[in-house]
Amino acid sequence: MVARIRANDPSGMEELYGVFTTGIRFYLCRQLGPQDLDDKVHDAFITIAQSIRRGDLREPERLMGYVRTVIRRQVAGYIGAAVESRRNMVDPDHGAILRDRKPDPERKAIEDQNNALAMRVLNTLPRRDREVLVRFYLQEQTPDQICRDMGLTATQFRLTKSRAKARFTELGLARFARHKGFSASATAKRKEAPAARAS
Amino acid sequence: MAMANPVERHLDEEAAEKYSLGQLSARKVVEIETHFLVCECCRQKVAASDAYVAAMRNAAAELRKEQAPRRRVAGK
Repeated sequence: MVARIRANDPSGMEELYGVFTTGIRFYLCRQLGPQDLDDKVHDAFITIAQSIRRGDLREPERLMGYVRTVIRRQVAGYIGAAVESRRNMVDPDHGAILRDRKPDPERKAIEDQNNALAMRVLNTLPRRDREVLVRFYLQEQTPDQICRDMGLTATQFRLTKSRAKARFTELGLARFARHKGFSASATAKRKEAPAARAS
Repeated sequence: MAMANPVERHLDEEAAEKYSLGQLSARKVVEIETHFLVCECCRQKVAASDAYVAAMRNAAAELRKEQAPRRRVAGK
């Protein structure tokens, strides 16, 4: 593929897109958010192709790592530019105003639902388990520190975390099932039906 | 016996969570990010982990906020 990109063969670019588009989209979206994502992905491919053609990628077998390095630099560039532009926006000498960037409503709705689920999980846990999770996720204390301060073993700590995550997943799946119109009880009824008919 | 290339290894849940929390070494981050560029299954793990960590963090912050006035009252 690298040889074909270097030779300007369109099939090389096609393959590059096929292999990396979803991964690059995911990476850029995770780091920078969904704004102008298509343009950013397009820019990434142009940069990657140009640098391959220039001969910057000396070992073709390192293509994956090379792509990651290029998009990492691209992200750093966007962040640098955003910091600079924000600095200009808050600088009264520039006379500009801060723009309010509203989050994508669908994304916001999903986040709100996830937050509500997490709250439900925390509220149903014993106080001690809740404290473990607050220390870990909010205060970013290390597992060692939490275990030491709260007199827990590493296993107890892991169990507390994994139980909470399992509960979150369970509640999330139940919510998903309700949205799709096949709640657990409905599924159970469907399962019972053939037996009822048989009897 | 040849060792598997770390970039080709799938993430386990713990690594995904540490990645979401920003608790991995720079070297491990490079390995993971290079891997998920081409691995849908690991992208899904990271996305789920990001969502979970963010939700727990927000809920924990909310809980602390709710508890704060009670603590202040109890402390008086």
